[in-house]
Amino acid sequence: MTLELHATPKEVMRAVESLQEFGQAQEVSENALFGLALALEECASNIVNHALRRDARQTFRVTIQHTGSAMVIELRDRGPEFDPTLAPVIDTESSNDDRPPGGWGIQLVRRYTDEMRHTREGGENVLRLTKRLVQAGQP
Amino acid sequence: MPLEILTLKTVGDKSIGAVTVKLTGSLDTATAPELEHQLAPVLAGQIKHLVFDLAQLKFISSAGLRIFSMARKQLKERGGQASFVHLQPQIQEVFEIMKSLPGVAIFKDMAELDHYLAVRQRAHEENQ
Repeated sequence: MTLELHATPKEVMRAVESLQEFGQAQEVSENALFGLALALEECASNIVNHALRRDARQTFRVTIQHTGSAMVIELRDRGPEFDPTLAPVIDTESSNDDRPPGGWGIQLVRRYTDEMRHTREGGENVLRLTKRLVQAGQP
Repeated sequence: MPLEILTLKTVGDKSIGAVTVKLTGSLDTATAPELEHQLAPVLAGQIKHLVFDLAQLKFISSAGLRIFSMARKQLKERGGQASFVHLQPQIQEVFEIMKSLPGVAIFKDMAELDHYLAVRQRAHEENQ
């Protein structure tokens, strides 16, 4: 499934809802789908807010695939080159109450996906998120 | 999924100044601004304790966590606190992953929260 989305928060949630419908139809577990939806929301929000600066005329693309053993989400945008996988890991054990909340999104993406890979292809940022799915009958 | 926000003033001693905000639906990049907008007048008042009832919250992203963090910080500056009650398991997991809100209180149910508020009430009266 491929979606062409405008750079607005509402379009981000349209992608999330499409993912949820797609995943339910593929009988992906609720837990896996919750995490994938959150990962997609975070990554797509980054594109809208930072890469495309909330310019509703700009578009980005989301492709969702179910391979049987995994769900793969690919996000493509034509914003400036930016690799979110290089964001530092936040020390959540830190007790700094005034620590600013930046970076929480990527932290959640790392937690809920098995692989996050960025490439730059033909002037586009390409971010690929992979979540391995538990097969029926496996422990 | 939209977000429904219901704000309730807690009946009782005004000195505790508790307000409960019930959230239904999804707190995400599209709906977080509306929560921020509705919290502004609540936080501008004198309340010391803000309770977020998340029983019907199905989805939360970092956009929502930022709103909670902002509310927590404002309350802390006046010696208050943000509390969270009735978290669904998937929402609880997000909180635990982030440990994103140090100093907030998460309660299993309203009975636990009421007990906490009663203890605070007694402590307040003893200090008078």
